[in-house]
Amino acid sequence: MKFQSQKVAYWFFAVSMLLFSLQLVYGFIMGFAHMGYDGLHNIIPFNVARATHTNLLVMWLLSGFMGAAYYIIPEEAEREILSVKWAYVQLIAFVVVGITAIIGFHFQWWEGRKFLEIPRPLDYLVVVDVLLFIGLIGGTIWRGKKYTTTSLVLFFGLLTAALLYLPGMIETDHQTHDSYWRWWVVHLWVEGVWELIMGAILCFLLIKLTGVDREIIEKWLYIIVGFTFLSGILGTGHHYYYIGTPRYWLMVGGVFSALEPLAFLGMAIYAIAMARKGNKIIDNRAALLWTLGTAIMSFVGAGFLGFAHTLPQVNMYTHGTLVTAMHGHMAFWGAYASLVLGLITYAMPLLTGRKLQDSKASIFAFWTSNIGMTAMTIAFGIAGVAQVYLERKMGLDFLLVQKEIEVHFLGLVLAASLFTLGIIAFVWNFIRFGGPSGEVEGRVV
Amino acid sequence: MLSKSQAKAFFLIGTAAFSAIFIGLTVDTFQRIPDQTNSSGLTPEVIRGKHLFDKKNCMGCHTIMGEGAYYAPELTKVFERRGEAFIRAMLKDPEAMYPGERKMTNYQLSDQEISDLTAFLKWVGTMDLNGFPPKPDLVKIASPSASSGGQSIVKSSDRPNVFNQMCVACHALRGEGGAVGPALDGIGSKFERSYLEKWLKDPLAIKPDSKMPKLPLSQEEINELAAFLSTLKEGE
Repeated sequence: MKFQSQKVAYWFFAVSMLLFSLQLVYGFIMGFAHMGYDGLHNIIPFNVARATHTNLLVMWLLSGFMGAAYYIIPEEAEREILSVKWAYVQLIAFVVVGITAIIGFHFQWWEGRKFLEIPRPLDYLVVVDVLLFIGLIGGTIWRGKKYTTTSLVLFFGLLTAALLYLPGMIETDHQTHDSYWRWWVVHLWVEGVWELIMGAILCFLLIKLTGVDREIIEKWLYIIVGFTFLSGILGTGHHYYYIGTPRYWLMVGGVFSALEPLAFLGMAIYAIAMARKGNKIIDNRAALLWTLGTAIMSFVGAGFLGFAHTLPQVNMYTHGTLVTAMHGHMAFWGAYASLVLGLITYAMPLLTGRKLQDSKASIFAFWTSNIGMTAMTIAFGIAGVAQVYLERKMGLDFLLVQKEIEVHFLGLVLAASLFTLGIIAFVWNFIRFGGPSGEVEGRVV
Repeated sequence: MLSKSQAKAFFLIGTAAFSAIFIGLTVDTFQRIPDQTNSSGLTPEVIRGKHLFDKKNCMGCHTIMGEGAYYAPELTKVFERRGEAFIRAMLKDPEAMYPGERKMTNYQLSDQEISDLTAFLKWVGTMDLNGFPPKPDLVKIASPSASSGGQSIVKSSDRPNVFNQMCVACHALRGEGGAVGPALDGIGSKFERSYLEKWLKDPLAIKPDSKMPKLPLSQEEINELAAFLSTLKEGE
């Protein structure tokens, strides 16, 4: 690494690894419950497992994004982070709030609003923590030697993500209002401003890994994030089809959702084109694999499967079924999980000074987790489509249909086991890297 | 080809323009929501029910307006589908209602809380959700014999309403309904009407190890149900 303070990133990545591992455990609890093995029901009922599973995802991704920012910004701005001490304070506060929330869920201390279950008092602490983070990153850029497009897009993404947390805190007594604002947070995060963060991190990785001229890569970054907002903002409409909002959202949401894959397709083509154009000798093959993996899997999961499921005529039947889980799993894996794992793979040899990035475990982790997730998506897809036909089209009883599709959850759990094997290899490789060395290199390859 | 500054302008102008449209549509939407969602029906009871629905994280298993988790049934039209008595009984003691099946947590709700939640579910059912949830449209092709009396069992007018709301949650008739308890085809040949009446009054008094709970039925409903069930003869 180039700057001493980039070391902070390591601890954010370590937190990510821990929370991610825990997330998988809760996934298995739900998979088994769907198969009829709900032995943990009295201790961890399904709604607890569900809230924990999704919130751990959000937390480990955010921890990964924060680590990424602490790693990328010093290099882009060419100066040390404003205050390393406060960065650690920010990390510790983040972990304390996160763990408190997770434990709280087990005692029904929550809001019971999908994805935003964190209880209100903790929401305020999240806001304070994120403000501190934004201040540290913004200050570092402000005082830096250079303002690069990559760092500005990353900062803009992080800042708007923080601001968009606020609509989720609007108090309301009306189910439709509640849902309306909830999607301002959830949708405008994952199909809006998080894509800025994604684009910027991808851009950084491509600049470092391929050696293609920064100006060319950053120009494409603008075009792609431009397309993201062009389609993604009004694409929020696909959440407003059936929640008591006017009928015109069917049209608005349908048209703009159909455009959403373009941004992801652009991202995939751009990553592949830059990787092919690059003439640099690759000394971190695994990081390039993850970079291309995130570009391609996000197009398939978020772009294509999202498109297939958000056409209003289709969504009328698939809305609120396991088809959503199919799309959700691969979308998050492709767009955000793979991205964070890719940046970790890139940064670890530079942070620790050990060259384990292309070890057998690392390459195995990439392929096994991706094949496992693809198989999981197929299992969810089959269960979801069967549910749509039996329950929505033929009107069979809910529980009867659930019994009928139990067998696909066996497939899901097997696929998830393969996926988990890949993640274990990734975490194992992460541990083998050891802690950050603190050595600052003159020139980073 | 676009220069970098043109690309930047495309991003900034596009984002500003579409954000403005989105905010405009949001303002318009909020003006239309009250009419579309029957907001005048938002009584204090309904509002308490909504917050209780959130507090217990019902969405963590169920969907409502299609939103939530996929572990338990969609609740938007549950009031119409199952009726008040069933919902109240279910909330009072979930495991008694679906013995040996997928479990719902017993939240030890008070009668007031149960009334609030029921009121909330009733109100949600009155909203105009642009056609969601869709009506099953394949049933005629799938089982022509079952549909002769109408589109589905819910619509069958020859059956007592309480049968269509409550009994079919666990029992099937002519291949439609739940599979928790035995199918009811031909039950009229097996049991006398008086026996059915006694059974419906309290199944556990006749058969202490029965999985069927004592249901919240009025004497009138019991008479009606027993009369209907005793017409279900074998071979019909």
